[in-house]
Amino acid sequence: MVDPSFLGFPRRFGRAGVRNHVLVLGINGLVAPAASQAAARIAGSRLVATPYGRGQFGADKALHFLQLAGIGANPNNGAVLIVGADRKSADAVAEAIAQRSPAPVEAVTLDDTQEDAHELVARAVRAGTRLAREASHGRRVRLPLSELYLGLECGHSDASSGLAANPLAGAVADRLVEAGATCVVGETLEWLGAEDALSARGADGTIGRRIAAAVMARERAVTAAGVDLLGDNPGEENIRGGLSTIEEKSLGAIAKAGRHPVTDMLGFAQPPSGRGLHLMDGPSYSPESMTGFVASGTQMILFTTGPGNSYCSLIAPTFKLSANPAACVRLDGQLDFDAGAVLQGRLSLDAAAGHLLAELIAVASGTLTWGEAAGQGAECFTRIGPSL
Amino acid sequence: MLHPHRAVAVSGAAESGWDAVRIAAADDVAVALRDLSGTVRVLCGAGIEEVALAQPVPFGHKFALADLAAGDAVRKYGAPIGRLTRAVRRGEHVHVHNLKSRRAGAGG
Repeated sequence: MVDPSFLGFPRRFGRAGVRNHVLVLGINGLVAPAASQAAARIAGSRLVATPYGRGQFGADKALHFLQLAGIGANPNNGAVLIVGADRKSADAVAEAIAQRSPAPVEAVTLDDTQEDAHELVARAVRAGTRLAREASHGRRVRLPLSELYLGLECGHSDASSGLAANPLAGAVADRLVEAGATCVVGETLEWLGAEDALSARGADGTIGRRIAAAVMARERAVTAAGVDLLGDNPGEENIRGGLSTIEEKSLGAIAKAGRHPVTDMLGFAQPPSGRGLHLMDGPSYSPESMTGFVASGTQMILFTTGPGNSYCSLIAPTFKLSANPAACVRLDGQLDFDAGAVLQGRLSLDAAAGHLLAELIAVASGTLTWGEAAGQGAECFTRIGPSL
Repeated sequence: MLHPHRAVAVSGAAESGWDAVRIAAADDVAVALRDLSGTVRVLCGAGIEEVALAQPVPFGHKFALADLAAGDAVRKYGAPIGRLTRAVRRGEHVHVHNLKSRRAGAGG
């Protein structure tokens, strides 16, 4: 029997954190180097610095803002330092974060220093040091699993993913949903060929129709661009692993979604309003998809792979799972869970799901993933339009 | 809801007495659980079928369980995963050289 609780950082409102980062958030590419220099001098800080921030317009600009505000409001942040170019946009991001998160937020900008980047770094270090000390007052307490919001991702899939790793991830998602938690599966293109099964699981009819429409929109974009998905999705590593078509990859990929009804389909980076299983309409490239999850508020990501994939989120601990026996031997030190026994029929899916959930709860309580121990992690901003 | 793969993953006995699995009853292909050649044992539901492979089939790759014609849809997970571009005999490797997507303008 798995202990149905974890040790997390409670927040005054919103979900609890599974980590207590001091986030240094560079909101404009002009100050990314200054943000990076400041972060290196602030204990326990995590740096997310966008390369963009000017010349964007319309939906692309709005989505960039939603990603910045969402990354800042992620409950794994115990404090947020914004490093910006102009005071107005820094205050707008700070305000948006404060609406969704109780973490202390401060902002320093080039406007305040009359374009002096040396002075900007000095002010950022001073403010960031203060925030780091303040965040360090946080203590872990025992909390119910219903506080958790888990992202489910797959990257570099092979045939073992659809046979064992993704069904196992889905079984854990089911258990978390039953405990009152929230889960999200993204990568719309990888519903293509499996959209009938997913649409039928919409908690009401409108959700099913929106899922089908989202898949159709992606399929139309592929057709309009005149590109062949073969070699891109499925990619070369998928093809080497035995996956021949997008339909085959999708049917294996959606097993991550378990079997509960789909509460809602979220827009990219949008936070869920309810609990249960969610889909997110977003890109299928893992780094972009995962930043959408983080901006939506996921505290952890369960990432299935076949031959291995080392990419991790910087903000949400990313737990790697494979059922490819050779990869699990080769990548000791990258893969957090070996599901090879499930593939080979030596361990039932149910028993494996119990072990996996216990390990995820340990990570939620502070145990490092391999990616965290290796000091690897990043966030990747999505663009949906050109710059002016 | 389609969940044949769930059934496969829990069907294993203590010892794995098979080399490949047919995931759903309606499937035209089986998946190799290790690098395979020669005659192999395929888990089909509760029973085992022997299939003589026409060529080596690597781990995770598929082979046909029946003789199939060019243009036939191929099913895995109980659902269509593409269409054959040429005829395939039982035991033949099925992959990108003879199977094409039907979606996103790839296969019409």
